[in-house]
Amino acid sequence: MAIFLQSLLSGILVGGVYALIGIGLTIIFGVMRVINFAHGDLLMLGMYVTWGLFALFNIDPYLSLLITAPVLFLWGVLLQKVFINRVLNALPQNQILLTIGMGLVMSNAIMLAFTSDYRILTTSYTSSAFQVFGLSVSQPLLYSFLITVAITGALFWFLQNTDTGQAIRATAQDRDAAQLMGINVKRMSVLAFGLGTAMAGIAGALLAPTYYIFPQVGGPFTLKAFVVVVLGGMGSIVGATLGGILIGVTESLSAVYVASGLKELVVYVLFLLILLFRPAGLLGKSRT
Amino acid sequence: MSSLLRSLRTPRGFSAPAFLAYLAVIGLVALVPQFSRKPLILHMWIMVFLAIAQGSAWNIVGGYAGQYSVGHAAYFGIGAYTTMLLLELHQIAPWYGIGLSMLNAVLLSVVIGSITFRLRGPYFVLASISMAEIIRLAALHFKDLTRGAEGILLNGIPPLETPWFTVKFLGKVPFFYTSLGLAVIVISVTWFVQHSKLGYTFQAIREDQDAAHSLGINPTLHKNLALMLSAAFTAAAGSLFALYVRFIDPNIAFGIDVSVQMVLICIIGGIGTILGPVVGSVVLVLLSESLRNPKWLVQAGLLADSSPTVAFIEARLSNAHVLFYGVLVVVVVLFAPEGFLGLLRTAVARVKKRLAAKPTPPSQPAAAA
Amino acid sequence: MRLASLLLSTVAAAALALPGLAGAAPVKIGFINTITGAEAPIGETMTNGLELALEDLKKQGVDVKVIRQDDTGKPDKAISAIEQLATGDEVTAIVGPYTSACANAVAKQAEQYGVPQVIPAASKEEITRQGYKWVFRVNAPANVYAKALIDAALAFGKPKSVAFIYESTDFGSSLSKVGKEYAVAKGLTVVADEAYQKGSPDYRSTLSKVKGQNPDLVFMVSYVADAILLMRQSRELGLKPQAFLGGGAGFDTAQFEGEKDISTNVFSVTQWTPDSSKASMEFAARYQAKFGKRPTYHAACTYTSMMVVGAAVKKGGADRAKVREALATDTWQTIMGEVKFEAYDGYNNQNHNAMPVIQYQAGKSVTVFPAKVATAKAVYPFPGWK
Repeated sequence: MAIFLQSLLSGILVGGVYALIGIGLTIIFGVMRVINFAHGDLLMLGMYVTWGLFALFNIDPYLSLLITAPVLFLWGVLLQKVFINRVLNALPQNQILLTIGMGLVMSNAIMLAFTSDYRILTTSYTSSAFQVFGLSVSQPLLYSFLITVAITGALFWFLQNTDTGQAIRATAQDRDAAQLMGINVKRMSVLAFGLGTAMAGIAGALLAPTYYIFPQVGGPFTLKAFVVVVLGGMGSIVGATLGGILIGVTESLSAVYVASGLKELVVYVLFLLILLFRPAGLLGKSRT
Repeated sequence: MSSLLRSLRTPRGFSAPAFLAYLAVIGLVALVPQFSRKPLILHMWIMVFLAIAQGSAWNIVGGYAGQYSVGHAAYFGIGAYTTMLLLELHQIAPWYGIGLSMLNAVLLSVVIGSITFRLRGPYFVLASISMAEIIRLAALHFKDLTRGAEGILLNGIPPLETPWFTVKFLGKVPFFYTSLGLAVIVISVTWFVQHSKLGYTFQAIREDQDAAHSLGINPTLHKNLALMLSAAFTAAAGSLFALYVRFIDPNIAFGIDVSVQMVLICIIGGIGTILGPVVGSVVLVLLSESLRNPKWLVQAGLLADSSPTVAFIEARLSNAHVLFYGVLVVVVVLFAPEGFLGLLRTAVARVKKRLAAKPTPPSQPAAAA
Repeated sequence: MRLASLLLSTVAAAALALPGLAGAAPVKIGFINTITGAEAPIGETMTNGLELALEDLKKQGVDVKVIRQDDTGKPDKAISAIEQLATGDEVTAIVGPYTSACANAVAKQAEQYGVPQVIPAASKEEITRQGYKWVFRVNAPANVYAKALIDAALAFGKPKSVAFIYESTDFGSSLSKVGKEYAVAKGLTVVADEAYQKGSPDYRSTLSKVKGQNPDLVFMVSYVADAILLMRQSRELGLKPQAFLGGGAGFDTAQFEGEKDISTNVFSVTQWTPDSSKASMEFAARYQAKFGKRPTYHAACTYTSMMVVGAAVKKGGADRAKVREALATDTWQTIMGEVKFEAYDGYNNQNHNAMPVIQYQAGKSVTVFPAKVATAKAVYPFPGWK
């Protein structure tokens, strides 16, 4: 029982970070219908910014969010304006390819600049834990989780209650109709890509104190983000949050009750089952 | 030449000059080992042929039927594993093994197709990726069957004995001809797909699945047929790759890079055309080799050993070859979305327009020659 | 004036031409390594090791020219690299490649072309078990890692059970396969056998499961920085066996050593230790000064491989057969101790490298096993987390 509760708990906490990666991807997909294969590489950039601030100025990774998030937002805006914008109406395979190419360029540019060494970021709380009822609650994971909750809440509020947020949502629901309603669809796309990139960057920053950093770190996270997003329903923020946590828990429990080597496999099987039986995802509205 | 170009622009059926040109090109390529036995050059030809086979095979389902699978590593890997396991564990010679591996891939494609073809667009892409990942993870985990991450090392390939001759699979030349043969077969199959009724149904599905359905085409059936064809030849390419490299593990055989490479070949060359994957393979293999190892150009006799280009690439670009690969992909998607073949076609059209604008072109004989 | 300048420039030209006249052209050595791709971090330490070897060879007057090729960690690229080196550049010998898959693909070609190949750090056992004449390996293969660690634990205490946690890569699974067999042969019970996909941010559930089994020994294999994650999360969960045994690689890096909170009292096994000899200490100090970090055994193995090839070239010149002859028969005193390529236990041209077991004590690695090379006493059992 203790093993079950412990695994459930770490699954939920790690799932929080997965959720954040997924939210970034879901905003981008929702507004632009572009599957961003460079998402993991954006996360990697967030990690490097965080690492740089920590190594140079000794800024705490969680505090550095205040810098990482805006920097990545601007980077996302730039990428959207220069590259993604040109393929919004192109064939889907060309969009996929463009983002794959961008990912390769980003990870290899970072490799040339910073070598491919693993970077480790160690803070005073890195491997500490709180003991609650005999369970160990990882300190850094708990902090990351709380920050994720706060950011998701703020983002949700922004999308629901501000004019810009509503315009983004309208664009996500129906691009053409939104355009007819006088919404500046192009601007919304730029904003969405910026926001999505910032979310990936924040996720990178939150992972930094517990993970390691190297140029090719992004790949597995890209795949995970896809799973999270489809599980939750493409374009749904609440869905991505639930999807992230569901995947964290699935991984954690299947490592204990199936086999550690199969935890990713179980996640993909779950993913396919959901695709087949609830193609719109857990919370997505039907899009067919 | 112009008739060849016309046939690839608007292919309506069999054209004797184009067919002869095709045979002539194959004949010329087949003579290569008679003139140059430099192993690196032959190795690169083999890599190009295998890339053509993979790209053309993907093109059947991706280019003609419009189903952008990013999970073809599943078929490549199942081919590689079937052949290697049969050879290593049961001493079944690879020429039977390749046949069985194609059969195995077809069976797998039926399973994967019946799951993924219920989905469309981005959902299909993601489902195809996850199927390949499931197989990769399973191959890593179930060590009794696959030897897991330790991979399979090939000790030797038995010689192929026929009543007329014996082929020993040593060195590059046998692999040169087998992979050339495979590439020719897959290109021919693509030609057949483009010109047959079956191919028209594939293209109808690509253009508008619902309209095709309303015309009485069963989209699921035909998408599955396209995938089966595609899977079989992808598996054959995987088998040859494994035999040639002599070692496979789940990441080499089932890794997502393999799937992405096949898509890249087609898009860089020109998707949904016969020659697209051929052009894409040549561009991709040669370019990545030129950036990684510019000295192959010296071996091929294209550059002098002292050439400043070689020195420049070695000094400046050798660590950045993947970066340039990425840049190439971005540039192609942005500026040549129909691939190199698309660029070529636009250029030909422009020249023709210019020629047509001049009532008495002085270069008429040159163009005809 | 004009005459003077003409004279001067003639002298200068003659001076430039002199070395070319005096000696033959430098002997070409190929170096195949993983410079880009996921394995690049380790490839880089190998390049660094090679650089130091080149400095030393230059001092010894061995004139070699190294031609580098990147295999990106993929065997088909490695084949392309060996074709270029063996038939294009016509090198005399080859050092590398790094990964087992690439090293094996290259070995096949090296044997075919008759080019001596010295493998610095690929661990797959089969590579030197195929009876190749031209392929030599400096590092000990995978089975040695596991045996050394388990022998050490049995020498220090009386463990009864062992849990294996390893990454599902060639290195991880072949090392723990041998480990499991050896542990059972030595009377230990294997209570957990957990393979993991490297690069996961969360191993807590796997570790809780292992903790539930209460093993005396926890044997972990990680090639890269996952080692740090595994130990951090073990600390969070309070996993406390008699000993943590780290199967080389990720447990034997400067970064792992630097993470005092989690590395203290962890055992690891290595191909080489900086405190093994005076020459090793000097090598480590030079490496530290030049590259700003501690050398890993990959760097030392590559350094040794290049030095051995250099010595063989000194004897055999540019002649491949003579260099092979020198490699097959000579013995060298190196920073890895005595290097000699021998045939034993089905291996051929394999250096019999004994792997020392180290332990991290107060942020430094010290050699604790076998007794004759130990520089400090082992802390056993694990006293608990700080």
